[in-house]
Amino acid sequence: MAAQPVAPAGGWIGFRALNGDDADAGAAAADLTNILDTVEAPIVVLRRDFTIAGFNKATADEFRLSTSDLGRASRDISRLAGLPSLEQQCSEVMASGVEERTDFRDGDRWFVVRISPYANGERQVSGTVLTFTNVTAFRASIDQVIYERECTKAILNAVPDPLVVLSADQRIQSGNRAFYSMFYELASLRTRLKGMLAGGRAFDPIEVDQVVPGEGRRRLILHAHPLALPGHPERRVLLTFEDITARAQAEAANDLRAIAERKDGLRRSEAFLAEAQRLSLTGSFSWRVSTDEITWSEQLYRIFEFDPGMPVTLELIGTRVHPEDMPLLRDRLERARDDGTDFEHEHRLQMPDGSIKYLHMVAHGTRDEDGRLEYIGAVQDVTVRRLSEQALGKAQSELAHVARISALSTLTASIAHEVNQPLSGIITNASTCLRMLAADPPDLDGARETARRAIRDGNRASEVIARVRTLFSKKELANESVDLNGATREVTALLLGELQRNRVSLQLELAQDLPTVTGDRIQLQQVILNLVRNASDAMAAVDDRPRQLLIRTQDEDGDRVRVSVRDSGIGVDPQNMTKLLDAFYTTKSDGMGIGLSVSRSIIEKHHGRLWAEPNDGPGAIFLFSIPVSRRA
Amino acid sequence: MIPKPSLVSVVDDDESIREALPDLLRQFGFAAETFASAEAFLASEFVTETGCLLLDVAMPGMSGPELQQELTRRREKIPIVFITAYGDASVLRPLLARGAVRCLVKPFSEEALLDAVGAALT
Repeated sequence: MAAQPVAPAGGWIGFRALNGDDADAGAAAADLTNILDTVEAPIVVLRRDFTIAGFNKATADEFRLSTSDLGRASRDISRLAGLPSLEQQCSEVMASGVEERTDFRDGDRWFVVRISPYANGERQVSGTVLTFTNVTAFRASIDQVIYERECTKAILNAVPDPLVVLSADQRIQSGNRAFYSMFYELASLRTRLKGMLAGGRAFDPIEVDQVVPGEGRRRLILHAHPLALPGHPERRVLLTFEDITARAQAEAANDLRAIAERKDGLRRSEAFLAEAQRLSLTGSFSWRVSTDEITWSEQLYRIFEFDPGMPVTLELIGTRVHPEDMPLLRDRLERARDDGTDFEHEHRLQMPDGSIKYLHMVAHGTRDEDGRLEYIGAVQDVTVRRLSEQALGKAQSELAHVARISALSTLTASIAHEVNQPLSGIITNASTCLRMLAADPPDLDGARETARRAIRDGNRASEVIARVRTLFSKKELANESVDLNGATREVTALLLGELQRNRVSLQLELAQDLPTVTGDRIQLQQVILNLVRNASDAMAAVDDRPRQLLIRTQDEDGDRVRVSVRDSGIGVDPQNMTKLLDAFYTTKSDGMGIGLSVSRSIIEKHHGRLWAEPNDGPGAIFLFSIPVSRRA
Repeated sequence: MIPKPSLVSVVDDDESIREALPDLLRQFGFAAETFASAEAFLASEFVTETGCLLLDVAMPGMSGPELQQELTRRREKIPIVFITAYGDASVLRPLLARGAVRCLVKPFSEEALLDAVGAALT
């Protein structure tokens, strides 16, 4: 039965309505109509000649088709203009029996059109069914996704560093432009990546050198990041390449700069060293003993006065060493050659012009990896120091000599004074004697008296000389019995004149029945002389009080004899007490201090002791005590 | 009337000097008095009478130069001849500067003594 156009009866347009006498068919048709009404998708049936056989309500709504469009060719439907290849596609479908799909755009709406063959009851294809699926929203979201994907791609492509996503088996899933421009193949990386990606290992960054065509060598750090994408269980890895070429170059530049700075620093310290050597007149050397290979610093050439850079040999050195010092030096070097120990040596140089230099050498022996001995050392020109030491030594001995002389001259003045008094007496008495004899009549009694006085004065003078002579005679240490009272009296007699001249009033408190001591009378008198002299000198500046000097002898428990010399002078600073007894310490400028230390050693030789005490009142007391003679 | 001989006073702490000088001075025709210290001389009655003073330099107590200053202070214009065993020029020059007539260094000859005393008394 051929289909005939019928007025629309809802649900389906274009198909004959069923006769009303079949109730089941009517119900089925009503069901079908309901279903078709709810279908949102427009459905159009086309006959073999591409004319519209029918369509559903959705088509009528969507494309504004009406019953008047039934039988019209599809190509004449303006709303279907967006399907220019429709007839061809329908023919293909009717011929193959396989449905096709095509896109259809209607204004701002998109459809996917499914073209299916329409087979009637007898299984003959008599047309096509077009089903329109509105994919506008879908497409919009697809568009959105595509847009975002394109955005992301654009961003990634803008990233200058290469990025690539790999599957677990190193197949490239996607990469950015930078990746493709830099790595046209991954083969060079594969071996390094294998370990990285072969599961289990942590992704340590690796450094990679890559030659980029057109840009040269680049240094990159490769980082691998596992990618977990929701809904995708397979493992993927994102590789990022950090281009550190610039940084590596900067580091290299820094290294070069650092090297240059170190070189600079080295040059500067070499300059300092050279300058230090010059200022201190010290040169350095190395001596490789097995080959006698010798290297010198510039300063050492200067010391020896050879041209810098001349090859140095032991023979060359020998031409400058003072001939008297040569044997000892040769000996020292031979010993060093044998035992390799550190040493110091001093010797002189004799320069071509005859001048002498004093050298002080220190050397340190080291062994290299092969055990060969090498000495490194320094030589200092100590000529100035040596000469000034000699001058100092000479000056010191001259000073000591002068000190002795001045002490002697003081003593001489004292002696002269002592002798001049009786001499004056002799001359005066003798003159008187002559006059008395020449008188008329001669005064013989007077002459006798004057002559007697002259003799007495002469004896007095010779006593002074004898006393002085015994005091300073160089006798061996005597071991005699000495009465310190008598010894003290003799010393004071000798010094009386000097003390009077210095306006020192002398007091003697000599113990009665003082036991004797065993020793050297002269030396003990020297000690007393020294103490009395010092006491007198200590009062030289005193004007506001009497200059009193007290010498006392005492018996200490029958065991020892004590002699003390007390003055009213400037006293001794407690700090200086012990120093005073040390050799060479003196507060006096004429060097008399050495007497005190000699005095102490004399007393100590007598098994006694010498010390000082502060006075109650101004001044000081110097004392010594010596053991009493043992009874034989 | 016999002219009274000029008085020469000797001040010296040395006994030899005090013993020897007066006899020689008397031989010269002078009167002589001796004193063991400057203080003894000042305390004596012979100060104004002294025509010439033979004065030692170094003495315990008041020294010779100190006596010289004391006499100047008392306006006693006694000519002074210093006699000293100590011949240092640095000691003697100031003494002459302060008005001493002579400085004789022991031992001195009788001629020197006579010359000095003579100069003092004229």
